Amino acid sequence: MRFIRDCEIVARECVAPGHWRMRLHAPDIARAAIPGQFCMVEVSETLYPFLRRPMCFSEIHDDGVSILYKVEGEGTALLAQRVPGQKCSLQGPLGNGFPVDGSFERHIIVSGGIGVATFPALAQALVGACQRPPEVVLAARTRELLLCEDLFKGLGCTVYLATDDGSAGQKAYAAGMLERLNPGEATRVYACGPMIMMRTTAAVARRAGANCLVSLEAQMACGDGACLGCVVESIEEYEGEKMVRVCVDGPVFDAAIIDWEAHNPAYDL
Amino acid sequence: MKNPVTVASGTFGYGEEFGRYFDVSLLGAVTTKSISLKPRPGNKPPRLVETPAGLLNAIGLQNVGIERFLAEKVPYLRARKAAIIANIYGYLPDEYAELAQRLESEGAADAIEANLSCPNVHDARTARGPVLVAQSCEAISEYTRAIRAATKLPLYIKLTPNVMNIQEPALAAQEAGADAVCLINTLLGMAINPETRKPRLANIVGGLSGPAIRPVALKMVWDAARVLRIPIIGTGGITGAPSAIEFLLAGATAVSVGSMSFRQPDIALRIVEGIAEYLSRHNIPDVRQLIGVMQT
Repeated sequence: MRFIRDCEIVARECVAPGHWRMRLHAPDIARAAIPGQFCMVEVSETLYPFLRRPMCFSEIHDDGVSILYKVEGEGTALLAQRVPGQKCSLQGPLGNGFPVDGSFERHIIVSGGIGVATFPALAQALVGACQRPPEVVLAARTRELLLCEDLFKGLGCTVYLATDDGSAGQKAYAAGMLERLNPGEATRVYACGPMIMMRTTAAVARRAGANCLVSLEAQMACGDGACLGCVVESIEEYEGEKMVRVCVDGPVFDAAIIDWEAHNPAYDL
Repeated sequence: MKNPVTVASGTFGYGEEFGRYFDVSLLGAVTTKSISLKPRPGNKPPRLVETPAGLLNAIGLQNVGIERFLAEKVPYLRARKAAIIANIYGYLPDEYAELAQRLESEGAADAIEANLSCPNVHDARTARGPVLVAQSCEAISEYTRAIRAATKLPLYIKLTPNVMNIQEPALAAQEAGADAVCLINTLLGMAINPETRKPRLANIVGGLSGPAIRPVALKMVWDAARVLRIPIIGTGGITGAPSAIEFLLAGATAVSVGSMSFRQPDIALRIVEGIAEYLSRHNIPDVRQLIGVMQT
């Protein structure tokens, strides 16, 4: 079930320079949503910027959802000017979301930068469904961009911090931190962040025999399977298609079906 | 068509994608994504970039091919009694003819729209020299005659705006037996990331659509309407009933809604309703009375 709703902004906060969390009143969408899914957010009431912006549900509440985003361009800059009391059109929930399978012994979330946005909702679902809370590798370029640590700790997760510059936690990349945690065959890894980070994380998981899910990001026009603009290449014909759509075949994929070699980092967002 | 509103090929999937948002049989017709004889994987990503009041795409005609189209996509539309304008794409005239014949014999289309103007496929750029089929009047004539001979279904030819004078290709399609022309496909364009100095699209160039192109499309419809006997389906940057009515006033008999369906999935239906409201507000009993009656 998908909805298009004008949703009231009930709260917003700047969580780091250029990074915003916005909570919206959206009961229909919240009831239908699962962690890992996303919505298409209208950022302008005029025709410029023209397209909606895909944003994952960071938290799913009883009466609405939260989104967490980084100001990257004109669209997100406009969104960051919206204040509580104003409305914002959301379309969703969209995409396939994370499967929650309590039969894995360990669940390790590996987050890079703003890729963390999708994980608070997942961590909450895993806490309810699994024997022990997920472990969280929280990696970012620098200390002030390590987001949501308090949310994960509040859920009982063990959080491992890593920064590229060593300003907090270990001076390490996300995949290196995962390696130190010794994932095994009964581990499921959940990764979201820059493509290079997901690629290296998936490689660590594969070597360890762990299952790895990745949540991908792409430019989208429709968000719902029609425009074919958001594709990535898969390693084999996946359900008859060489190109898989991030919007409806994902955004959550088994890392093993993605053709990481085909990805050209020159075009990274 | 029960009303003058359809959707632009490539912006509406195979219809089912939008059936989640409204009853697509309420449209005049559903125009489906270009299909070819064999499935096509399309271009490498990135395929999409937003531009001022529009977007550039270089999808490259990714499609499921005629067999899966017939088996998996048509039944959804037929079960809902939606009228189908099946958009077809091929390399040579024979391929278009075979597609049209197959669609007719399977009862899978109410009309054929031949895409002679996709800017995003390498073979389209080289099949007849360094041009799109729709950039050469001789090629338009050859392709249109081949399809005309293969089917009795209404035949619409979708033309490119990337030409000097739209009247010439439009007349070529008419003289070769087209029942209508669809104006316009996307305008060629590009975008560059100044930080990386790379093109934003892996294909380098793409097709521009959205409200940014509306004035260009409108002028081309007006130009073509003054010389054609056959109807025009006007398309390009329609975002609501007022802009749809602009196209009717410029001489289009019907309109197709394109990229705006990405922003607002039920916009085509809203436009059907908005045109009805306009007619009632202006006491106009038949939408056909709007065609080409711009006051000068």
